Amino acid sequence: MKQNSMLAMILAGGRGSRLHELTNKVAKPAVSYGGKYRIVDFPLSNCANSGIDVVGVLTQYESILLNSYVAAGGRWGLDAKDSGVYVLPPREKADVGLDVYRGTADAISQNIDFIDSRSPEYLLILSGDHIYKMNYAQMLAFHKASKADATIAVIEVPIKEASRFGIMNTDGETDQIVEFEEKPAEPKSNLASMGIYIFNWKLLRKMLLADMKNPDSNHDFGKDIIPTMLNDGKRLFAYRFKGYWKDVGTIDSLWEANMDLLSPNNELDLNDPTWKIYTEDVTTLPQYIGPEASVTNAYITQGCIVEGEVKNSVLFTGSKVRPGAKVIDSVLMPGVVVEEGAVVQRALVADNIHIGKNAVAGSADSEHIELVAQRVKGAE
Amino acid sequence: MYSAFGIVNSSPRNILVEGLQDFRPIGAFSFLGRYRVIDFPISNLSNSDIDRIQVYMDNNKPRSLIEHVGTGRHYNINSKSGHLQLLFSGARSWRDVYNTDIAAYIENMESIEKMHHPYVVILPNYMVYSQDFDTLIGSHISSGADITLLYHTIDNAKESCLHCNIVNLNRQKGVLSIEPNPGTAKNRNIFMDTYIMKKDLFVSLVKKAAAYSSMFSLLDIVNAACTGQIEGMDLDVRGIPHKGFFAPITDFRSYYDANMALINIKEAQNLFGEGWPIYTRTNNSCPTHYMDGADIRNSIVSNGCLIEGTVENSIIGRGCVIKKGAVIKNSIILADTLIGQDVHLENFVVDKHARLIREKEIIAPVGNPGYIKRRDTL
Repeated sequence: MKQNSMLAMILAGGRGSRLHELTNKVAKPAVSYGGKYRIVDFPLSNCANSGIDVVGVLTQYESILLNSYVAAGGRWGLDAKDSGVYVLPPREKADVGLDVYRGTADAISQNIDFIDSRSPEYLLILSGDHIYKMNYAQMLAFHKASKADATIAVIEVPIKEASRFGIMNTDGETDQIVEFEEKPAEPKSNLASMGIYIFNWKLLRKMLLADMKNPDSNHDFGKDIIPTMLNDGKRLFAYRFKGYWKDVGTIDSLWEANMDLLSPNNELDLNDPTWKIYTEDVTTLPQYIGPEASVTNAYITQGCIVEGEVKNSVLFTGSKVRPGAKVIDSVLMPGVVVEEGAVVQRALVADNIHIGKNAVAGSADSEHIELVAQRVKGAE
Repeated sequence: MYSAFGIVNSSPRNILVEGLQDFRPIGAFSFLGRYRVIDFPISNLSNSDIDRIQVYMDNNKPRSLIEHVGTGRHYNINSKSGHLQLLFSGARSWRDVYNTDIAAYIENMESIEKMHHPYVVILPNYMVYSQDFDTLIGSHISSGADITLLYHTIDNAKESCLHCNIVNLNRQKGVLSIEPNPGTAKNRNIFMDTYIMKKDLFVSLVKKAAAYSSMFSLLDIVNAACTGQIEGMDLDVRGIPHKGFFAPITDFRSYYDANMALINIKEAQNLFGEGWPIYTRTNNSCPTHYMDGADIRNSIVSNGCLIEGTVENSIIGRGCVIKKGAVIKNSIILADTLIGQDVHLENFVVDKHARLIREKEIIAPVGNPGYIKRRDTL
C-alpha cells in the first residue's frame, strides 16, 4: 500500500449538549444516525474512500464507547499495514503535564509528536459530528492547484441564515479567502465554513507552536489560527462543496437529518455503491414485517420487527413495533420497543427505551420534536 | 470447553438442487435474505468455541463460497489461535463416482493429522440448524460412545427429507444402521450428517474406508461399523436427537420450504436462539427504504432495498428494487434483483441480478415453485 501524503485528524471531543440525554453517556460523534450508523462513520468512511490511510481521532468527552468504537479501524477498511485509526485522548507526556484539550487547535498541538511520527505533507482537520459525503482527495487536488497554505471547505447557505455560520469572504475569481467572519451580523457572502481544513503541515506546525505560547489565544482554528494566517498574508482558499451536509446540533435537527433519508432523491444517498458508508457489523436477523403490519415511507434496518404501523419514520437496528402500535413521523434509535397499542408521534426515542402498552409518546402538533429518553409506562 | 476441531463437509454427489446449484455449491446458497447456508454450520462451530475449522469445497463452481467464507474472520473466530482453512478435493469432476468425502479427506490428510485437538466434529454445509457442539461433545464423552451421530425426528418422512438418510436406533439409542430414507413411513430419525468422534478414530476410519472401496463415504464406513459389514470393526455408535429448527437443503423444494418456514417469527426463534448469533459476511448495505404506496406483509426483508410495490409472504434479498404496482407473493427474491412496474410474481425463486421487467405475469402453481435464473431478463 502506498503511503499517503495526507494525514487526517478528526475532532471528536465535543459533548453536543443540545442533544440532551442522547449525549449523557456518549460523545456526539458516537450518536446513532440513519438506521445503522453513528455520526463519526461519515468522516471515517470519507477518509477511507478518499484513500487516506491514517486517521487520528481526538476524543475527550465521555469517550469509552467512542474510543473502542473508532479503534476498530477494520470497520472502515483502515487496518492495512501502515494504516490505522488512532484514538487520541489528552495524555501526560515526559515533559508536559496532563491537560485537557483547550480548543480545536490545542487538540492538534498536543498531538504534534503523533503527527510528526507520520511525517505527512498535508494535514486534514475534520469534525467528527457532521453528516456528509466528501472526497477529500479532490479537495487536496484543489489545495495543491491553488498553491494554498490552507484550504477551507465551504458550503453555500441561504444568505438569511449566513449569520449563524463562520463566513468566508473570497475574491470572486479564484476563491482566495480575503476575510473570515465568525457569525457576522451582516454577512457579505454565503460561503459557510464546514470546519474542514487542509493545511501544509510544516506551516501549521509552526503556527501551533506559537499559538500554544499565546496566553490570549482560545486555541481555536476558527477564532485564532485562521485569522492569524490571514493577517500574516498567507494563501487561504475556499473549496466549494456541493451536496448534503448537516451539523446536527439539536434534537430537531437530528430528527430532521433522519427524515431527510425518506425523501426519494435525497442528496445523501446512502445506497451509492461507489461511496459506501461503513459502520459496525451487527449480527441480527433481517427485518421482519409481520402479517398485520403497515409500513409506508419508512427507513428500516436489519434486526427490526414491525408488527404494527410505521409511517414516515426511521427505525434503527433491532427496534420493535408490536401489533397495533403506531409509529408516525418518528425516529426509533437502536433497541427501542414500542409495545402493543402504543402511539409514538413526532418523537425521537433514545436507545433501548421501552414504550409500554397503549402508552403515548410525542404529539402530532408539537412545535419541537419530543426526545423520549426514559421508559414510558404502559396504560390499560 | 472441549478441545475439538470442526470439519464442514460439502454435499454428496447424489444431491442436486435444480437451478441454484448450477451457479454455486449449496453452502453458498442465499438463505433468508442476508445469510448463506454455510453461515449456520460455521457459526455453530464458532459459538461452540471451536475455532479450528476446515471447510471442504465442492469442485463445482466454488467461487462464491470462497469469496463468502474467505479467511473466516467474520465468523468471530480467534484471529491468532483460530484458523479457517478452505480445502479442496482431488476429484476431477463433481459428479465423478470418485468424488466422495473420503477422497477429499485423504487428499488433505496432512492437514487433518496436523490438528492437535483430540476430538472432531463433522457437519454438512447443506443443512440449516443450530446446535451447541460443546454440550454435545460433553454428552458424547460421558456416554462412552466411539461415535455420536446427530439426528432429527420428523413425522412427515414420506414427503420430506427424501434425499436424506435415516438412522435406525435400538432402545438405547445405539445406531443399528444408516440408510437412505425409503419414504415408506411417517416417523423417521433423519440423519443430520453430523458426527462427533475422536480425531484418531476419524483418521483411521478414513484410511480404512479408502482401502475398502474407492466409492466409500464416511457414512458408508460408519454404517459398516454399525451393521458388522466389515469384519473386526466393532464400534459403539450412538445417536443424539436434535431439538429446534432443522432443514436439509437437498433439492429445490426443500430450499424453498426452509426459507418460507422461517418467515414465521416463532419458527425463526427455534433457529436463532438468544446468545447464538449467526454470523455472515457484511455487505455494508444501507437500510431499506419503504416508499409511499409500499404494502409489505408477513415478509423478511434485507437491507439496501427500495420498495414501492406489494410484498406478501416473501423473502427479499439485499439491494432489491421493487417498483410501483409490482406484486410479489410467496416468493424468494435473491440479492440485487429488479422487479419492474406492475410485474406480478407468485411462487417463485428469483436468482441474483435478475431483471423482471417485460413479462407482467409470472406465476407458478402453489406447491410447485418456479425458478428464474441468475442474471436473466424477463
